[in-house]
Amino acid sequence: MKQHALCSDCEDKITPMDLPIPDGLKEEWSVSESRRQFLGRCGKVLGWASLATLFGEASFRHLAFASGPKPQPGFGENTLGLPHFAPKAKRAIYLFMSGAPPQVDLFDYKPSLALQFDKDMPASVRGNQQLTGMTAGQARFPVAPSHWPFSRLGQTGTWISDLLPYTARMVDDLTFIKSTNTDAINHEPAIMLMNTGNMNAGKPCLGAWLAYGLGSMNDNLPTFVVLQTKTNPKENNQPVSSRLWSSGFLSSEFSGVGLRSVGDPVLYLGDPPGVDRDTRRKMLDAVEEINRQTLAEVGDPETNSRIAQYEMAFRMQSSVPELADLSKEPESTWELYGPEAKEPGTFAYNCLLARRLAERGVRFTQIYKRGWDVHDNVVGMLPVLCQETDRGCYALVTDLKRRGLLDDTLVIWAGEFGRTVYSQGGLSQENYGRDHHPRCFTTWMTGGGVRPGVTYGETDDYSYNVVKDPVHVRDFNATILHCLGIDHNKFSYRFQGLDQKLTSPVPAFVVQGILA
Amino acid sequence: MNVAATVARTAGDALRRARLIPRLWIGAGCVGISILLLPLFFPLDGKPHADWLQFFGRFHPLVVHLPIGLIVILPLVEFAGTRRQSFREAAGFLLQISLATCVVSILFGFLLAYGSGEIGTTVTRHMRGGILVAIELLLCLAVRPSWLRAQRSRLYAILLTAVLMTLAWTAHQGGSLTHGSDYLTRYMPATLKRVLAPSAVSSHPNSFFARHIYPVLDTKCVACHGTNKEQGGLRLDSYESLMAGGKDGMVIAPRNPDGSLLLQKVTLPPTDHRFMPAEGRTPLTREEIARIRAWVLQGASPDAASVPGIFIAEDQEQAPPPVGDYSAFIVEIRQMQQSQGAKLVPVSANPSDGLILRTADVAGTFDDAHLTKLQRFAPFIVEAELARTAVTDAGVETLSQFKNLRALHLDGTAVTGRTLGKLSSLSQLTYLNLSGTKVTSDAAAPLKLEPNLRHLYLFNTPAEPAPTADSGVRSIQ
Repeated sequence: MKQHALCSDCEDKITPMDLPIPDGLKEEWSVSESRRQFLGRCGKVLGWASLATLFGEASFRHLAFASGPKPQPGFGENTLGLPHFAPKAKRAIYLFMSGAPPQVDLFDYKPSLALQFDKDMPASVRGNQQLTGMTAGQARFPVAPSHWPFSRLGQTGTWISDLLPYTARMVDDLTFIKSTNTDAINHEPAIMLMNTGNMNAGKPCLGAWLAYGLGSMNDNLPTFVVLQTKTNPKENNQPVSSRLWSSGFLSSEFSGVGLRSVGDPVLYLGDPPGVDRDTRRKMLDAVEEINRQTLAEVGDPETNSRIAQYEMAFRMQSSVPELADLSKEPESTWELYGPEAKEPGTFAYNCLLARRLAERGVRFTQIYKRGWDVHDNVVGMLPVLCQETDRGCYALVTDLKRRGLLDDTLVIWAGEFGRTVYSQGGLSQENYGRDHHPRCFTTWMTGGGVRPGVTYGETDDYSYNVVKDPVHVRDFNATILHCLGIDHNKFSYRFQGLDQKLTSPVPAFVVQGILA
Repeated sequence: MNVAATVARTAGDALRRARLIPRLWIGAGCVGISILLLPLFFPLDGKPHADWLQFFGRFHPLVVHLPIGLIVILPLVEFAGTRRQSFREAAGFLLQISLATCVVSILFGFLLAYGSGEIGTTVTRHMRGGILVAIELLLCLAVRPSWLRAQRSRLYAILLTAVLMTLAWTAHQGGSLTHGSDYLTRYMPATLKRVLAPSAVSSHPNSFFARHIYPVLDTKCVACHGTNKEQGGLRLDSYESLMAGGKDGMVIAPRNPDGSLLLQKVTLPPTDHRFMPAEGRTPLTREEIARIRAWVLQGASPDAASVPGIFIAEDQEQAPPPVGDYSAFIVEIRQMQQSQGAKLVPVSANPSDGLILRTADVAGTFDDAHLTKLQRFAPFIVEAELARTAVTDAGVETLSQFKNLRALHLDGTAVTGRTLGKLSSLSQLTYLNLSGTKVTSDAAAPLKLEPNLRHLYLFNTPAEPAPTADSGVRSIQ
């Protein structure tokens, strides 16, 4: 006898039917049990009905949406009407530098600071800003000029730190935003804000919005892939969790699919011994049938997601091994990415994988590199961090460019905030530390939709406040959406009575100055 | 001189014959004629003169529109005179004050040109045009009485037409002086422009200079530094004259924007008396200055097609023509998608943006035969994503009939390039990716001649072997 899905309290219990008693009695019991079941169900139905009334009509529409055919962002069925206009970029690769790279040491060249070494940063620069608990108690805020020289490179004459010799070679291709700024001063809220447009967890991230709005370009691979870089235990690794690639209130099939950095990219993807693909198919068909029944009875959209995930996993059984098989890469690939790229989990390897994902039509790939949280020992750790990431960034952009993929791929490089110009802890000629700094940080983009060779926005002499063309995180995200053909003001999802947007609630503006 | 004297005599005779307060009119005529003769006694010498001349001269643009208005309305009033006699009388008066105001305008105009020391062909033409208008008006005045008596009726009409035509030409010269010579043509539709105003700098018509520097100079500078006027001995109406500089020497120092006089002058505070463009003319925009700066920084090349860091919207492919509405095919396309697996995806919510042929999830099995079946949707397909499919040279031939194709991805296919020449029929094609194919440089050669095919990728093919050494990397200290 099939039990109702809502009747969870009678699962896994010994029912009267299992008892060694006469069949006649069992029949009588089954009637009485139905009655009990009936009454129980009545109560639940009433509860659901009242709940549905509380939610209002919108929730019914939602249920209809959930149980009907899923709106495919494909031909003629795309109920979202996306993209709003012909996009410049079809896909995006987001290189996320978690922990916040110090802009003063990498991109935001402030030559005048050399004369300010160990002098107190004027209080007027900081204004009434509240600092983190890590430096608020410091007696003084001594200016720590960058330890490394900068060079002026490319035909655009862009200043860039000597720590990034590879990035330096492509400055003419990049669009630097020196005036990116955020509201949060601590990692978790800042990284949430950067990814989801909101400091509180529970909102969909950029990748989920894109997966929801633009849909898949290759049904055999996830629409949104997250690649984590192996951590270096010497670095100060801030935690990164699946909240950052969560689909929030959107259907969970739009959340990012993490490919593992060690071993199999996806666990248990291969069929166990003795199970062939036909058997697997039959099993999935049966599971789907059951899931569909549940869906028809309960109407929970998450059941739809589950069905979709099973199917995706089945298709990934053949697509992922092909994706991760780097044996056919030409020698030029290894010359570009360097030998590190052969080792799964390195940043260079992930960059190569991101290129392969882009080739295969994955809409959004996000690579996380942790460890940028240099509160102390900047001089010791920053060269390591740059050495780990610099070549990969250059290789990815160059590889996309030579293969003709950069025309319709947007590459984004960003952390969650910047770092202070003043030293956290002791400042010496040899070393210094830098605290969190939300008021300005440097990010870059390149590829479809943005103008190469542009440096946008300016900071003051202390790389502390934005003095020209500020770009808030919301503006940053609005611009990314624009490159992908989406008007961020029109792209919303009704939840909790609000038309929720990636860029809401404060108005956001597309940064016209960097658009191609 | 002879002409002027004859005109004066004729005019004087006419006036006497008309018996209109002779003495006053003769006096006025003499003043007027002496004004017309001013340029003969004080030729424009290109040197500035006393300030009061310019002070009055600057009222020229104000005054000049009065006779223009009067002259334009004159034929209308004359025409109305065929119906009512009162209009005919008014027309006579109009003609007289047209002439009077015209002469005053000429006086002011001359004061402006002489006082400011402006010279140049356009200045001269404008001045001569103005004087000619006055002379023609004078002749009109002379022949009008006989026209009224219905004798030699044609002559007056011809003269009046001549006045109008001379006026239009003169006014255009004046407009060119104040607004720049391309004032009328700047926003002209491209097709009309090609017929009427062929490009002025023809040696490298596609260079960054010709497309983005020259137009700035032409609109903002050439009014005073060109054939019209040559202030400071500087002309900015060609690459050669720009690089030659003026009285103060070079104005462009290649690779040194801060040392380029031109950039220094346009970036001064607008209140500075050395600021250019002078005299309240429209200053250069930040964007225009950035353009010039980047161009100078790169070396001020006459023929470089682009300058890194500078993006100009017109450089992008002009918006491609919209494709037709595919709505009628939706059912058919859905059926096709279900049977073949390949997808036709809208570029955007706007149907005229066309469709993308997407094969990523069936790449392994998508071949030439599938492509042939899609031919009926070809007019709507603007992009074909066929990377790593089983499409071959035969498929390329099929694709040559997808007339609206703008982007074609054939990377990683078995295409050899044998049939690539056929793609020349795709006039909209701007992007072609052949990376990782077996295309040779011979096979790709015809593609390199296609003017619209701006993004051609041949990475990792026999045509463009991958570079072996990753040279030039600075090591980290």
